[in-house]
Amino acid sequence: MMLRGLAALALAALALLVPSEGRAADLVVWHAYRAEEKAALEKVVAAYNARQKAVHVTTLAVPYDAFADKITAAVPRGRGPDIFIYAQDRLGGWIEAGNTVESIDFFVDQPTKDRFIPTTLEAMTYRGSVWGLPLNYKVITMLYNKKLVPTPPKTSTELVAIAKKLSDPASGRFGLAYAYNDYYYHAALQNAFGGRVFDAAGQPVLNSPEDVMALELLMRWVEKDRILPAEPSTALITSLFNEGKAAMVFNGPWFLGEIAREVDYGLALLPTITEAGGKPMRPWMTVEGVCVTAPSKQKDQAYEFAKYLTDVEASKVMAVEGRQSPANKAVYSDPKVGEDPMLKAFRAQVEVAVPMPNVPEMTMVWSPATTAMNAVTKKSLSPKQAVDNAQKAVARDAAELRKKP
Amino acid sequence: MKAASHRIRFLAGVALGTAVGLSLSWVLLRATRRDLAGERDRREAIISVQALADLLQKVGFSSTRVGQAVSAWQAQTPAGTVARIVAIAGAQLVASTDPADRGARETPRRLSREEKPLYDQGQRIRAAVATNRDEGGARKAEIEIDELASGSLALAAPVESGGTLSGFLAVQIPRTAQEPGGNGGLAALLLAAAIAVFAAFAWFVGERRLPLAAGATVCLAGALLVHANAAVRTVREELRAADEAVAAYATAQGRQAGEVLASLQVPVDPPLAPASWDTDEVRRPRRLIGEDGHPNEVALAGRVARASFEATRALFGVAAVSLLLLLVSGFGGFSRAGHELVEHRQAYLYIAPAMIGLLILVFFPFFYGITLSFTDSNLYNTNRSIAETWIGLRNYGDVLGDFGFIQRTQGGGFVINYLNFYWTLLFTILWTVSNVSFGVVVGLALALILNTRDLALRPVYRVLLILPWAMPNYITSLIWKGMFHQQFGVVNQFLGIFGISPIAWFETVGTSFFTAFPTNGWLSFPFMMVVSLGALQSIPAELYEAARVDGATRWQQFKAITLPSIRPALVPAIIISVVWTFNMFNVVYLVTAGEPGGSTEILITQAYKFAFQRYRYGYAAAYSTVIFFILLVYGVIQNRVSKATEAA
Repeated sequence: MMLRGLAALALAALALLVPSEGRAADLVVWHAYRAEEKAALEKVVAAYNARQKAVHVTTLAVPYDAFADKITAAVPRGRGPDIFIYAQDRLGGWIEAGNTVESIDFFVDQPTKDRFIPTTLEAMTYRGSVWGLPLNYKVITMLYNKKLVPTPPKTSTELVAIAKKLSDPASGRFGLAYAYNDYYYHAALQNAFGGRVFDAAGQPVLNSPEDVMALELLMRWVEKDRILPAEPSTALITSLFNEGKAAMVFNGPWFLGEIAREVDYGLALLPTITEAGGKPMRPWMTVEGVCVTAPSKQKDQAYEFAKYLTDVEASKVMAVEGRQSPANKAVYSDPKVGEDPMLKAFRAQVEVAVPMPNVPEMTMVWSPATTAMNAVTKKSLSPKQAVDNAQKAVARDAAELRKKP
Repeated sequence: MKAASHRIRFLAGVALGTAVGLSLSWVLLRATRRDLAGERDRREAIISVQALADLLQKVGFSSTRVGQAVSAWQAQTPAGTVARIVAIAGAQLVASTDPADRGARETPRRLSREEKPLYDQGQRIRAAVATNRDEGGARKAEIEIDELASGSLALAAPVESGGTLSGFLAVQIPRTAQEPGGNGGLAALLLAAAIAVFAAFAWFVGERRLPLAAGATVCLAGALLVHANAAVRTVREELRAADEAVAAYATAQGRQAGEVLASLQVPVDPPLAPASWDTDEVRRPRRLIGEDGHPNEVALAGRVARASFEATRALFGVAAVSLLLLLVSGFGGFSRAGHELVEHRQAYLYIAPAMIGLLILVFFPFFYGITLSFTDSNLYNTNRSIAETWIGLRNYGDVLGDFGFIQRTQGGGFVINYLNFYWTLLFTILWTVSNVSFGVVVGLALALILNTRDLALRPVYRVLLILPWAMPNYITSLIWKGMFHQQFGVVNQFLGIFGISPIAWFETVGTSFFTAFPTNGWLSFPFMMVVSLGALQSIPAELYEAARVDGATRWQQFKAITLPSIRPALVPAIIISVVWTFNMFNVVYLVTAGEPGGSTEILITQAYKFAFQRYRYGYAAAYSTVIFFILLVYGVIQNRVSKATEAA
């Protein structure tokens, strides 16, 4: 008797597990946002669902650490979403692997292309085709402690002068602090001299003369001027800035949440480099884009949603409530977005920023480049030798990957 | 066991072995013939497409005669062919012979939304041509060939005019060659013959096993040999016939193309070369057709020889499998297995769920990894099948054969190549030995201390000493890394108290090793301590009493009583610890991250970097298989030597 009751209960539970019949036109969006960005995205999605009835968009928050691997594993097998939002650095790898991202060249017309900051669209372009619409960008800029630095420097000569006055390495105070041995941050200095990682044909050019010059300037800052701390880890930079022991910091929007309440900080453009002929520092920008997946059955509808998400209305919500820097140009004419001090500073900085390379070979660059940066900053190799080694390593790895047996 | 006679067993073996062998051979033959027919179809399709591309190049891509040229070309191809010419700029459909493209959809027009895949294909081809040119290689396919459900072939090829890529053409050609089968009749005949011959033989010979085995082998071998001969001969003939057919097709296409150009009054300069239209998917000529329109004899002979060799090799494999089946069946393997299963069926049923779980979660990934190590899998060819990227033992050769341990620099000094397998192996062994020794010594010492009688607060000490092991080693590794910071780390500040200047820990190999070493030592001694403590507590106290009465010193007591008694517990723990430390990814990756310059990598972090930073999956799989074999050999030897897992 009891067994029969138990069996009935089990059957009922199984029936509940059977998924309910979803609407035929359901769009699934994957993202890695939390807190305010997630809330802002969900608000935009609700607005889109309200204004049209052809599709119903649902979002799924996937943890950031696992996101890229999930896309790589699930999407080509047809188990992924219709749209996903992610940075452009893994784009090349996914395109080469195939059946992951859909090229949207066919859908994108000139007016849509024109609404974005040009460099952000370039970040989502691979080998001449557009693979996603840029949603927002992140770029490093200069943050300074207003108490220690009343007016921020505009050129590198001013920077060094101010920093020297505020530096006392013995007692742990520094005028400038940033993760200079991280190639991502150093790229800002390198690009000012015109150095690049890959040339137009996609071949690595890590040992160009401009790269060497940038490293020599960095070493001058570290050794001669002594305005930078040794072994600058991100934790160290944060603690130095929060304790008022670092007057100026080069960092990005992710840093703002870590700043202690007591510190009165300001944002300013990265200085121009006098040694490079007054050219501005050109940091790398990380662009988050909205991509349509290749196995999606509703590419048209997915593209329409992507277009809406990157349009002025949605960009304003993402900027004001999600605290993102939208790639849409027109949204900055709205005072709520255009006059916000944080968004204004990053908008000014992105004018001189360069998109980070999205080719798959980029992942092979980080390790040799970090080795080179460490070797140079610890003076175990000269800048020329270090970049030559890095160039050899990257060229070898890229050739191994590209050769056909 | 006595019931079934040997004759029956061997007869069953012959039947089974011959049946399996012949059916496998038949399947292989059919597959090979299908491949040959498919290859011939593809070559002919590529020739047609290249002919059209050549035509368009000479006619001029943007001229109005494109439509005429395409129609004229189509008249010479099998009925049902459809060709579309697309200009990439502006997504223009320049010309089309599709019957649906009439009236409202008359060309030239812009591609419609449903035709997006066509546009994407064009972009892909454009990117492929650019990539191959930029990299100077032949990595990406410039002619895309797909098989449609209806059996037609869909090809897409670039059209270059004036040195630039102006557009591409997409063609659907129905397949003309028939699908060949295998020679099933012969196989069935041979099977029956083998069984009949052996039955007669067995009736004469009686119950003696060895003669029966010999006779069975001869029958099996005979049947398979006859079939194999016929198969290889068929393959040779069909290959030759296919090559001749393709050569004739190319000549015909060349002649017809000439006629088309003449009718359109287009100068044929430079002259058409039909032999160059026979290319592979990267548009490199195959050079299989000679100038005279007949197959290139030398190349053909080479291909025939290679095909026969591969067929023979495959058939040998099949023969080996059949022979194995025959012998297993004949000598009673199957009946014994069957008995075993029936007798212990309850036991097998109990372990079935766990076996299934192990199969899916452990054995399948493990064998897949080993299979991957025989391929050249990397980021760029993940969508190709394993058979296509098979390179055999080359990865192992690359891993184990690279002895470039030390290299000479220009300055005359020596520099160690840190990417080298042997350097990493040496470092890993050093790492393992030092860590395990440290862990055992410290763990045993602490266990001895904790084991003293009437020790106050013993539970408190135990808990405190277990903490390093209990906390997640990911977090503690990062904390230790911070402690070794040159300026702000605790360790340097502690050394500063004694007047030692701050050491840059991650600057040289030696000091970098000494950052990971204490971290792992701190993490691993609790395990050894717990194992030793448990073992110590099982030693009866009377032994020590007796030893003390006999006048033994503490050290002698330790050596003679303690060590031998805890050996059965300690040795397996050491084996486990060696395996864990050998593969201790977290500590090395997080604390030293291989600094400086990749010199403090252990094998497993090196494999990780090869897989996920350099994207060379096949190489990394080979690397990890090598690690597995090293540890397997070590475990087996250690086990044998110490008899550690034998029952006491």
